[in-house]
Amino acid sequence: MTAHLTAQAVTRRYGASAVVDGVSLDLEPGKITALLGGSGAGKSTLLRLFAGLEPLDDGDIRLGDQLLSSVGRTVPAEKRRIGLIFQDFALFPHLTAAQNVAFGLKSRGKEVARTIAADWLERLGLSGRAGAYPHELSGGEQQRVAIARALAPEPAAILMDEPFSGLDPALRGSVRDTALAAIRSAGIPALLVTHDPTEALESADCIAILQAGRLLQQGSAADIYLTPESAAIAAALGPVSRLPSDAVPDGLAGTGLPDGTELVVRPEGVLLDADSPVRAQTVSSQLTGPLCRLVLACGGQMLTALVPRMDAPEEGEEVGIRLDPALTFIFQSAHS
Amino acid sequence: MSTLTAIRRFRFRSIDGPAFLAGLIIAVPVMVTLVAGLFHGGGEAWIHIRDTLLAGYTTGTLGTLFLTGVLILGVAVPSAWLVTMYQFPGRGVFEWLLILPLAAPGYVLAYAYADLMGVMGPFQTALREATGWSARDYWFPDMRNLPGLAFVLACALYPYAYLTARAAFVSQSVCALEAARSLGASSLRRFWQVALPAARPAIAAGLALALMEAAADYGAAEYLGVPTLTFGIVRAWQSFGDAAAAARLALVLVAIVIGLVLAERHTRGRAGSQQSSTRWRTVSRTRLPFWAGLGASAACGLLFLVAFVLPVSRLIWLTLETRDQIAPIGRALVNTLILAGAGAALAFVLALVIALTARQRGLMAGFARLMASTGYAIPGAVLALGALIVMGYLGFTLTGIGAIAALAWVYASRFTTSGAEPMVAALGRAPASMGYAAESLGASPLRRAVSVDLPVALSGAMAGALILFVESLKELPATLMLRPFNWDTLSVRANAYATDERLAAAALPSLLITLAGLLPVILLSWRLSHSRPGDTQ
Repeated sequence: MTAHLTAQAVTRRYGASAVVDGVSLDLEPGKITALLGGSGAGKSTLLRLFAGLEPLDDGDIRLGDQLLSSVGRTVPAEKRRIGLIFQDFALFPHLTAAQNVAFGLKSRGKEVARTIAADWLERLGLSGRAGAYPHELSGGEQQRVAIARALAPEPAAILMDEPFSGLDPALRGSVRDTALAAIRSAGIPALLVTHDPTEALESADCIAILQAGRLLQQGSAADIYLTPESAAIAAALGPVSRLPSDAVPDGLAGTGLPDGTELVVRPEGVLLDADSPVRAQTVSSQLTGPLCRLVLACGGQMLTALVPRMDAPEEGEEVGIRLDPALTFIFQSAHS
Repeated sequence: MSTLTAIRRFRFRSIDGPAFLAGLIIAVPVMVTLVAGLFHGGGEAWIHIRDTLLAGYTTGTLGTLFLTGVLILGVAVPSAWLVTMYQFPGRGVFEWLLILPLAAPGYVLAYAYADLMGVMGPFQTALREATGWSARDYWFPDMRNLPGLAFVLACALYPYAYLTARAAFVSQSVCALEAARSLGASSLRRFWQVALPAARPAIAAGLALALMEAAADYGAAEYLGVPTLTFGIVRAWQSFGDAAAAARLALVLVAIVIGLVLAERHTRGRAGSQQSSTRWRTVSRTRLPFWAGLGASAACGLLFLVAFVLPVSRLIWLTLETRDQIAPIGRALVNTLILAGAGAALAFVLALVIALTARQRGLMAGFARLMASTGYAIPGAVLALGALIVMGYLGFTLTGIGAIAALAWVYASRFTTSGAEPMVAALGRAPASMGYAAESLGASPLRRAVSVDLPVALSGAMAGALILFVESLKELPATLMLRPFNWDTLSVRANAYATDERLAAAALPSLLITLAGLLPVILLSWRLSHSRPGDTQ
């Protein structure tokens, strides 16, 4: 029940191009791993490889010590006991919510299946909706039924393909919290495929970043956010300002940067400091919810900063700035 | 919006006049038959029919519908599932080949199969030569009974259910099938418990369409000697000359057709059939292992062979073998072109009105559409009765231009919907905002229909006109009842020769009808292979 789900140097090619290229990924039981990447990065393909919906061309996939996929041999999806949750819910339209949840419980007998399904619907706050058909349910309810359906047969792992992006933004947070709590308490490996860095940071324990079929970095969410291994990874997790070493204004980065490097800083790492000798001009100042987003011109370079509303300068105002070392990174420049 | 509020809120718009007129023209024949049957059909002829024939006709029709339905489901759904979900040798060709049997009307297949399976047919002859038996020494399946009729109709009509089932399987949610896999469902369970229930309303719609055609069949039932209601209606008119009694018989047939429609509605039920999936992905077909793939090819090939190749090649062979006996059909060809042409022309205008007004909705547009689809469900013999009664009432005889007009009216009443469909589809491909743009620029609904929607709809007009022409040309019972005196069409000729046991002479007109029938079917299969499932068809 608590086996790891592991991919070892997995490759999948369509024709000549490798969509997933030598990816190794270890999914720990009881932890949610977010697989983050843009469109075409190979996220969904990697998920389908884990699920057994596609054969792989190299490497292997194991559940504990059980071999699931290797070259030329794929345990079919229906034999894997790995739950799937889709962006479009994929509920069976001709079955009620309760029947949908009971679908995977066939081997348990009708009565037991009904009880288990009712339990799951209750856990996800749907006990009043058991007899409703999918088209009678709201989007959030549909997704919770889909989650109950995937978890009810007590799968060995669960895979989610953009599960929350089909939902209304107003609804997304609460559905996500309910869903992820249920998944965490199941104590199984869980993979959450997403293109939204905020979602990955907010909901996952671990993050793996995929780009062009290759795994760039994986680790705990905080680790990756605070110690990205490249400018691309830093940018994948949220907006950054990037300055080439020769353009960094004097005094901003202490003693100056070695040639051929670039400075990458997150907006909340740009701090206002009246005493700082480094001065910047406020180009624009816009309240974007909890924080105020500033565009600052400093030594001919543009920097974005996020600051509390009370501290925010007016447009055109001159301010002193410094950088938070924890949120400022120096990388080899991509061009050198 | 309920019908009631729609009626209360009704404001006459410029397009409502044409829409109402089109709906009325289409509706009159069936209305007249129903009224005549209800209030005037109780004469002596009816009492005779009721006491001696009605039970046989009704069981004949119900039995034929049941058996035909079972046969159609048995071949159409599995073949549609095979060609959408699996990869096997010849799959791509079979995908559209399996539609071709739609080209030959049931009565043509009946002639061919009665000959093929008869005592003097090639199978029995070969059997006798091989074994030395005489004709009385063995059993051989007989076509001239109800199962024979059901077999022939299923061969001709299964593509309706095949088409709708295939469309449903192609557009099904791939994610739902994958979710079912992840929940441990075997491929058999995925078919029975996920794909089939989701496709059930579409399959029911196709089956209902096929069974309406089966209920409307006259030629095959007559030739194979199965008493059905449609056969009875034509017979009541021809031998008793009592249109009102025939109309009362038609009430029973119409009730059965309404029953079919209601049963089809019922299958939709409360359970959603609308796929919740919005993301579309190509079904990745499973490659079948060698022997299974060969089996799938053989199954599809056998279906195509039995439903099309065998009967059509028999007709070709009959035509070639007895070249010297071929009766001249030039006159019949000209008559067919005139009658089908007149029917297609009237139906085309009505179809255009319906397509253009359907785009702007409203009460009258809804009325016109409802009438058109009602006419499509009603057997031609029933509509012909209505036209006959109107003509009799007005004092017209079945000669010359009056009869041509009456027959065109019946063709239009029955087929307008099928001609409007490609035009509605053409309009559907243009954004609805196009019309709103025209209205925001001050165009009246009528001007919008003529100057904006019409040019778009005309891109589907070729297909619509072709379908209307070919449907009219294939029609038999109404043509038989209403054609001008001494005007034989191809279908009437084929029927007359076949009934006289001059099959060789019936073969050529039958072939020509089938050939004409191939045109819209090929058009349909071309559209099928060039459209993506995401398209609104």
